[in-house]
Amino acid sequence: MTSRGMSIIVARCLSSFERLFRLDRGLPRSNVRLVVDGLAGALAIGIVAATPVAAQEKPSTLGLGIFTFTSGPAAAYGMPGKNAADLMIDEINAKGGIGGVPVSATYVDEAQGAQGVIAEYRRLAGDAKNQVMIAALSSANCLALAPLAEQLEVPTVGWNCDTHQLLMDGKSKYVFRPSGNTVPEFIAYAIYLLDRKPDVKTVAIINPDYAFGHDAAKIFTAALKALKPDVEIVAELYPKLGSPNYQTEISRLSTARPDVVFSNLWGADLENFVRQAAPRGIFTSSQVILALGETVLQRVPLPDGVIVGVLGDGWWMSPDAKAKPETVKFAEAYKARFGEYPVFPSIKMANALIYVKAAYDTAMQKNGGKWPTRAELAAAMKGSKVETLTGTAQTRADNDGLVDQIVGVTIKTPAQQLPMIGDMVRYKGDSLMPQAGQDPLAWIATLKPEFAKSLPKPGSYK
Amino acid sequence: MSNAIIPLLLDSLASAALIFFAAVGLTLVFSVLRVLNVAHGSLYSIGGYVAASICLFIASRQLNPYLSFLALLFSAVGVAAIFGPLIERGLVRWTYGKSEAVQILITFGLFLILEDLQRVIFGVQSFYEDAPMRLLGTTSIGGVVYLNYQILLIAMALLVVVGLRLLINHTRLGRLITAVVADREMAQSIGIDTNRIFILAFSLGVFLAALGGALATPTSGIAPGLGADTMVLAFAVAAIGGLGRIEGAALASLIVGLARVLAIYLAPSLDAVAPYAAMLVVLLIRPYGLFGSVTARRI
Repeated sequence: MTSRGMSIIVARCLSSFERLFRLDRGLPRSNVRLVVDGLAGALAIGIVAATPVAAQEKPSTLGLGIFTFTSGPAAAYGMPGKNAADLMIDEINAKGGIGGVPVSATYVDEAQGAQGVIAEYRRLAGDAKNQVMIAALSSANCLALAPLAEQLEVPTVGWNCDTHQLLMDGKSKYVFRPSGNTVPEFIAYAIYLLDRKPDVKTVAIINPDYAFGHDAAKIFTAALKALKPDVEIVAELYPKLGSPNYQTEISRLSTARPDVVFSNLWGADLENFVRQAAPRGIFTSSQVILALGETVLQRVPLPDGVIVGVLGDGWWMSPDAKAKPETVKFAEAYKARFGEYPVFPSIKMANALIYVKAAYDTAMQKNGGKWPTRAELAAAMKGSKVETLTGTAQTRADNDGLVDQIVGVTIKTPAQQLPMIGDMVRYKGDSLMPQAGQDPLAWIATLKPEFAKSLPKPGSYK
Repeated sequence: MSNAIIPLLLDSLASAALIFFAAVGLTLVFSVLRVLNVAHGSLYSIGGYVAASICLFIASRQLNPYLSFLALLFSAVGVAAIFGPLIERGLVRWTYGKSEAVQILITFGLFLILEDLQRVIFGVQSFYEDAPMRLLGTTSIGGVVYLNYQILLIAMALLVVVGLRLLINHTRLGRLITAVVADREMAQSIGIDTNRIFILAFSLGVFLAALGGALATPTSGIAPGLGADTMVLAFAVAAIGGLGRIEGAALASLIVGLARVLAIYLAPSLDAVAPYAAMLVVLLIRPYGLFGSVTARRI
């Protein structure tokens, strides 16, 4: 344990006791919570400090803290992630676990809010058997947990952390993102749109009102403006996350009469928006882009021609995925167990678990087969290149991931009952990412139309 | 110009109709029982869940889809018949005459219980059943396609305002309620069964909440957390209109609906705060709400 860690323990304890002694002077309830949090934090750090030697012995089970939404409107996105984790863990355990140790997961519901999520993270981190956290789904929670992961020195794999702000300082030692971020994800939509509809003049945006929605709008707009400066944004709407009713927003979109409606709504919000917008003609009057549209293909009737993607390469029906027997087996097992085929959050979670397993294998290979410490595990993740169910996850020096981006449009085929993704393109992960440490928006502003011309075209990924 | 104003007005009315259904039951219960029912939002979402479940059952059995309209109404009746007397007799009546803090704490406890009950019974995933919306089709007004169901909602809200006014002014039950509202002890002393009036008034409030949830279902999703959101908005409307005033709730719903729609059209970043900004402005000018007063008790 470093002296920095010890000083943190002392500071947290002193801070807690100072607050505690003020209890009899009418401490407000919020401060009581701070006291409890403070003591819990000190206790967690104390336990973490006391466990590195023991952690090198093989434990009876390997605990994973997995953070996702299991309730509320976001559960429509979070539950497929949990389902995939259940399935993957069963498969890993059926093959003898990781390094011979069976895996068990503790799920944390992110719907409880950031304060609860932080408290749960601390609690789980305090238990030595939980060596890795797979956290989180919400970008806001990822940002809240990242400093804690560094402080407690717990390897934390952001299975669905999209915000590009997460690893921007490039100093992270324990936080990893084996998937893309908002920069390549939303540049990909701008490039695909301009290839498919080069005469686009007006765009309206409807995104959720938090970091993910605003970041996506900024990046998509910046990319469009860089590649086609005459594009005008005629409406920008940010309904509250979890909003059940979009009728007024739909009227506003109708009156703006845009060529294109772009949205990164997700979960039940996206389902509600599609169900309410379709009968009101939004899908016929404008070219609609639903950045997370693949997640609702099996639940709501999306018309043909909607631009959708998977925020990465996690499309279980992509040519690469179909060529991998383990992916086909995973998709069929998922369908048999949960009644639906996996959606891209399921694939992201499955890939995150493959990433963790690969890190254990590498770490044990490096230390002669001994059970790795948390620090050894983090070192194994750094710079790794892992074969996933749908492609490759490469970790850069700043711990950010490089994965390809698949975008296409909804089509119906006689072979499938559900809409599929057709006219696909697969952009290379590194082609849409700025260099480590480079300001993403400044980099996007430097893009020229020639840049888009150099990339593969819609329909090229077959 | 009219192309811009007509959609704005229609959206405001449609938005106000949904808000009104959420708020009117709360204000009615407060006017008669003098209890601020924090669990009101949960009863709204229970109405939605029950209606959606029945509509889904009708769809799964391939029964006549128009039965779903009846399902919306009867689900509200069912929720009111079960929860109204149960909550009033089992819990709320013990709070009569107690301080507002006690009333709020008890109904807040009930709110937590009902929210968890919904999770246990209906699960944590979103519910959605839009058969009534699809059956009615669409109409293009001012170049914007509207759901005929949205127009039906506006008509239903007007019907409820007029119906409640007729009930209170022109029926025996209404006169009894008015007497209890004016002076509970005097009403009791002249032989009015106030307990019965309380059960009926509370059940009517539950019915209106459940009807609001049921009518919202075909155009909105239902998920855990809806009750809390509804409650906060209903409080804002009740505060603007003046607690306990039905016409106040109607006018306040219009103000909140208009504020929200204007925000979405003109300043989308203010969308979430618009209803509460409207409340702040009204309360700064009239601290007891548009129709409220310090002493007079009316309904």
